[in-house]
Amino acid sequence: MLDLVIRNGRVVDGTGLPLFAADVGIRDGKIVAVGKISEVAKEEYDAKDQIVAPGFIDPHTHFDAQLLWDGAAKPAIEHGITTIVPGNCSLSLAPLKAEHRMKLVGMFNQIEEMPHKAFEEGVEWNWETFDEFVSRIEKDLTINVAPLVGHSVLRLWVMGDASMQGPANETQIEAMKDLLDQCLSAGAIGLSTSFVDMDERLQPVPSRYSDTHELAALCDVLAGHNKILQVVHEFYDTDLTLARVDQLAEISLKHGITTTLSPLFVNEDNAEGAKQIMQRVVDQTARGARVWPQVQTRPIDISFTFSVPSLLFIRLPSWYALMRFNTPDQIMLTLQNSEARAKLVAEAQGMMSLWKRLVLRQVQTDANQVYVGKTLAEIAELRDTDPLNVMIDLSLEESLDAHFLSSDMGHNDDELVASFLTHPNVMIGASDGGAHILSFSTYGDTGYLFSRFVRQCKAMGLEQAVKKITSDTASLWGLDNRGFVKTGYAADITIFDDKSIGRGPEYYVQDVPGDGYRYVRDAIGVDAVIIGGALAYNSDSGYTDARKGRVIG
Amino acid sequence: MESARKSIFPSAKDSWESIAIRELAATDKEQAISHLQSWNLHVFARRVIDGETGEMGNPILPSDVIFVEPPVKA
Repeated sequence: MLDLVIRNGRVVDGTGLPLFAADVGIRDGKIVAVGKISEVAKEEYDAKDQIVAPGFIDPHTHFDAQLLWDGAAKPAIEHGITTIVPGNCSLSLAPLKAEHRMKLVGMFNQIEEMPHKAFEEGVEWNWETFDEFVSRIEKDLTINVAPLVGHSVLRLWVMGDASMQGPANETQIEAMKDLLDQCLSAGAIGLSTSFVDMDERLQPVPSRYSDTHELAALCDVLAGHNKILQVVHEFYDTDLTLARVDQLAEISLKHGITTTLSPLFVNEDNAEGAKQIMQRVVDQTARGARVWPQVQTRPIDISFTFSVPSLLFIRLPSWYALMRFNTPDQIMLTLQNSEARAKLVAEAQGMMSLWKRLVLRQVQTDANQVYVGKTLAEIAELRDTDPLNVMIDLSLEESLDAHFLSSDMGHNDDELVASFLTHPNVMIGASDGGAHILSFSTYGDTGYLFSRFVRQCKAMGLEQAVKKITSDTASLWGLDNRGFVKTGYAADITIFDDKSIGRGPEYYVQDVPGDGYRYVRDAIGVDAVIIGGALAYNSDSGYTDARKGRVIG
Repeated sequence: MESARKSIFPSAKDSWESIAIRELAATDKEQAISHLQSWNLHVFARRVIDGETGEMGNPILPSDVIFVEPPVKA
């Protein structure tokens, strides 16, 4: 007897080949039959008129912390995601000595915008090694996790404070190699490193103090396990990105490993540069290198309040320092001081074209509800002031709880973005799932791929889109037995309506430990998600009690 | 494959001066340093605090890409 049979579906099997009508039989967490199935099953699921596809794989996430209080990485699963890759950008939560916990929390806070209070109230620190961390999260996993180990945390473990002072010596490199080997043996899927990130004191993270010799030594270990290297690079600059593509190509060729860099954005003003980068990737691929840029589907939107440091202010040192190093009360006092305010206004004047476009998306007071949905330019006209001062005034009136939205900041030219998403050398990814929770929703990129680029723009077919976010990703990341609806493969399956799948509107919700908030989006058109052979989510009744997720490194 | 803008990865003890002497030997040293800084604003504008002294440290990190020629004109 089968455990579960999905009947009457239209199977898009992940190969990119045309869909076909079939039932799918599941037993012991695996797909055991695809076709006309007469065998009975303990459970049946009627997928009439629905697409039955391999579960989607999200290769660039920062769900590391969330997995400690939410083994489903909500709302990833309801968007059809069955496997996530956390630990990107040199940051993972293991291996981690007790004395380094707060230092790493600071980095997660600065880089991924995960609040300190979420760690304080949501995390029981009961691991140090990678295998202890794996055991810890596997107790309550609904989603599959393919974790990277972070270069910065390897350095912290081996070098302590010296990890942020310079390159490692030979003894330290040997210790890091041993540690990486242990992590890979315990389930890590690869190594992540960062060439750009800063900690909460705005100092470079440990991985940035490594030299090419150290990175090469660690790549030797990756080669021994046939694992991947992920980097976050200087994505804002074409020449630097080209140099990183070349660097990764040399690493790939020398060590025989796959490398990926993320993110790669494409805008009208950098279109030529982005095309140059892709040509470089193509040329390096022709040499035999494996260098895969990750491109996200969604346009860049950023929301913010004055109480949390926002990426939007990163080029305004006084503003960023004010938000980074002060309490809300101190920020209020500074803005109420006419001299300090004048200095801040002067520094931000050059970005008036941005302030004008910002939309007030949420306030607390009744008096200001009338302005919600209007641009700051419109509100400024009504109040007879300028957009920058109106932003400050509203923030003060709302005790810093005025939410502003900067939408369509880039990566929003459909034709250009589609040309990259469909490129054979591009991996669709870079969602940043679970990160930047107070700036934007990192959920729904897969739905947006189908609604925008398959249905609306017709830039790619349904089967190609499914292949891009399932079997292609599984192959590149070495996820054996994932990514296809085929006999013998893991029963990770997403059932959806191809005519309606999409992402809902972004909204603000209080569901983070420590009474924290985040931006999320609901899924549209995802009917059911099966992970490890068990129904994990369906659109009628929500999440089930299934806990069949695994660490699959 | 098109040739890339020439760059190096610095060694741990590199400074603007040591890179200028090694990579731009034919150029006057002060001018070479000035060139390097202008070609590498991503490093030159960085504020790195020396962990031991608390003072401004060497902004050049061993993982950096340092360009040793100007950008190609558009």
